[in-house]
Amino acid sequence: MKRNPLTIGIGILLIIIFALWLCVFQVRQSEVAVVTTFGKVTRSITEPGAYLKAPWPIQSDHHLDQRVQNFEESKFTEGLTKDGFNLLTSVYVGWRITDPKAFFPKYAVSATPMVEAERGLERLLGNAKTAVIGRHPLGAFISAADGGNQFVEIEKQILEAIKTELKANNYGLDIDFLGFKRLGLPESVTQNVFERMTSERQLLINRSQFEGEAEALKIRSEADRKAAEQLSAAEAKAREIRGKGEAEAAKSLSVFQQNPELANFIFRLEALESSLKDRSTLVFDQSTPPFDLFRGASTNLLRK
Amino acid sequence: MERDTKRNGALNLCALLLAGVAGYAVARYANSLAGQVGMVFVGVGMLVAAVSWFQMRLEDRERLERLEFDELTKGKGASALFESKDAEAFPAQRSREQFERFFVPVFTVFLLLIQGGAAWFFHRLLSQVALDTRVTQATMALSLFAVFALILFILGKFSATMARMGEFRLLRPGASYVLLGAYLCFAITMGIVGVAAGFPKADFYLAYGLCVLLGLVAVETVISLVLEIYRPRIKGKVGRPLYESRLVGLLGQPEGLITTAAQALDYQFGFKVSDTWFYRFFEKALGWLVLLQAVILLLSTCLVVIDAGEQGLLERFGKPVAGNTLLEPGAHLKMPWPIDRVYRYRTEQIQSFTVGSTPDPSKEKERLVLWTVSHTKEENFLVASRDQGYGTTNRAGGKRTPPVSLLVVSIPVQYQITNLVAWAYNNEDADSLLQDIATREVVRFLAGADLGDLMTSGRLEASQTLLERIQEGAEVRKMGAKVISVGLQDLHPPVKVAPDFEKVIGALQTKQAKILAAKADDIKTNALAEAFAFAMVNSSEAERVARELEALSQASLFQNQVPAFQAAPSVYAQRAFLQTFARATAGARKYVLLTTNTHDVLTFDLQEKIRADLYDLTVPAPKK
Repeated sequence: MKRNPLTIGIGILLIIIFALWLCVFQVRQSEVAVVTTFGKVTRSITEPGAYLKAPWPIQSDHHLDQRVQNFEESKFTEGLTKDGFNLLTSVYVGWRITDPKAFFPKYAVSATPMVEAERGLERLLGNAKTAVIGRHPLGAFISAADGGNQFVEIEKQILEAIKTELKANNYGLDIDFLGFKRLGLPESVTQNVFERMTSERQLLINRSQFEGEAEALKIRSEADRKAAEQLSAAEAKAREIRGKGEAEAAKSLSVFQQNPELANFIFRLEALESSLKDRSTLVFDQSTPPFDLFRGASTNLLRK
Repeated sequence: MERDTKRNGALNLCALLLAGVAGYAVARYANSLAGQVGMVFVGVGMLVAAVSWFQMRLEDRERLERLEFDELTKGKGASALFESKDAEAFPAQRSREQFERFFVPVFTVFLLLIQGGAAWFFHRLLSQVALDTRVTQATMALSLFAVFALILFILGKFSATMARMGEFRLLRPGASYVLLGAYLCFAITMGIVGVAAGFPKADFYLAYGLCVLLGLVAVETVISLVLEIYRPRIKGKVGRPLYESRLVGLLGQPEGLITTAAQALDYQFGFKVSDTWFYRFFEKALGWLVLLQAVILLLSTCLVVIDAGEQGLLERFGKPVAGNTLLEPGAHLKMPWPIDRVYRYRTEQIQSFTVGSTPDPSKEKERLVLWTVSHTKEENFLVASRDQGYGTTNRAGGKRTPPVSLLVVSIPVQYQITNLVAWAYNNEDADSLLQDIATREVVRFLAGADLGDLMTSGRLEASQTLLERIQEGAEVRKMGAKVISVGLQDLHPPVKVAPDFEKVIGALQTKQAKILAAKADDIKTNALAEAFAFAMVNSSEAERVARELEALSQASLFQNQVPAFQAAPSVYAQRAFLQTFARATAGARKYVLLTTNTHDVLTFDLQEKIRADLYDLTVPAPKK
């Protein structure tokens, strides 16, 4: 078979390219690489660029993200505050790899070492968070007072607690920041809060209702008082006026002194007439004039 | 030549064995599903190559035996009266026949079991794994499979060319599998490239395709086994090995398809298309054309176009290119992949997310949004309320605990990337981090705010405060983003308690109504009282005047009555009495007792009697 030098050359070039591919690897700006030789960590690379290594299975390169990783607790966990209130909290954490050589052996077994590391962090976080929450009353989390709440201080305490743990055990990672993402109450307590909110509104409703009634009552009683005063004043004046009339009328009584018996007789007649104005039933005998005529009085008079 | 073919057969066997074992190990290590399925073909090919190599050796022994026998019979002549042609005189031939009669079918059945079993196993496995299972160590796997492909291709091509000669037909099964192995390794390489290029399902789909192919090969083996029973045995005609797969041969040597296509074209067009210069050029230069295409493809990665609203990050061997890290919209030249790589981000686009409740898509068309009707997937936030003396006393030292309320909020936050380098290199998931920071600030703010203030006059201030705090948080984390707006668009109590909030407004209105009604009564009472007072005074005035005039008139009358009385006192008196009596008793009922016996007691029934016609009234019967 005729050997084509060009074909052979291209074949060799391809083999060289593939061989280079086996022996060269890149580390990105956002990455950190760990090189293992027969499974043992021999080198860690934090600067970006291209590097050489022995081909697999002699050496392998493992790439890890060196940027700040952000994760949130997978569960909304319940804790007890210092004053005995159940509080649900969820925290988000920013962490990054600080020592790849220490980090890799701990989490390399998993196909997703970053996820595995976050699971471990979540366990530490749970412990630290519960402990710190228990040192503060509910008012430190929720307060409309002038001092406000103490979020920042509490977050710092949780962060310090976890950092201590990480440093003590050389996890090869560090937490940059931490923050409360959610606060909540258990379902049963939430119902109680709803009831309290309803009661609070009911208080305002009752206040408005009874303030309105009280105000209305005051206005009405004031009106009644003024009306009574007016009427009383008018009655007094009327009495005074009538009194004046009586006084004027009394001036003419002296006329009746000319013949008091006649005056009294006339007044008795007027009284008699006045009293018989309503429906009356009268029973007379024969001695009452003019019915004494039935006894023949008139005829007796005519005989004379 | 014979040694070459046996050596070639052994080489195929070793190549398939090494490629199969190494390839499977690499596929497992790199978590490539397509690689694992592909290596099953190579493993089966290794078995086929082993059996065909052994069969080659048997045929070779038979041929040598025949040659020796021919040499012997030529030299001695036909001296024997009866020539023995027993099979025992040809043990090699007998071995080969028995091998072909017994071992080959059993081996083919064994192959069928492997092919069918592997197809079923991988089908089960693929149905359980995620579609986008990550391929790790992509570069290493890529390189190794490419090397395997190259080596197997060169070996396979050589063996396939030799196998075209009739007497070396037993090289063909192994050569087909070697070539198929080469093409499969190439396909696996493409699958890994696809995953690395951002198509995470490429490896899975390739694995599934290979699994289906494995199943088809198993089906073809079954058909071959069945048809072998009915195949006529023609003396002198050499049969095709039962374990040789036509499908594998077709896939391993696709130029056969091209030849078949050329023959079809010749037949269709009526002239020899396959003899034209273009066809011959295409046939010869196919490999070079493919290579040229690959080179052009690689060179095309030197040009990158950044769209409007985007920016690109240029990295050389993973490191940002100094002085040219950020690529603005437009066309740019760079080194080919994998030396230079560009990562795109939408920077000018205003991006947004929502903290708190997200709108319910099924209720987006409703035009009226009420607190009492659910219109979002509610998420309650804790809010403080100023202690109004209603908080509970806690256990720790008797300190009063402020009351807590719940609020539903929906706060859209809009932001823009201002520093792409910081955005891309400082945080792994900057989008998610900004959302976390925003949510944290909202939670912190609400936990320190008063519910009443927040829902009334404090909204604008709250919005501004949140924007400043979120921006501050983004700057502390060096995110390279600018928060454009934070809106408190949906802020209300939970649906469950919202009606009570509305009732408060109703109660305020009721209070006002009562006060106004009382004021109306006030006006009425005072007006009436004034009128009554006026009437009373006027009435008394009238009485006074009447009384005075009456007194004057009586006095004046008496003045005239006195002389009349003095003129005839008894007559005047009687007359006055009788006149008065007549006037006064005119309307009264009078009874005059004209009896002398005044000792009898008389009873007068003075009761009022009912009218007689009233006795005739009948009461109608009540209606049922």
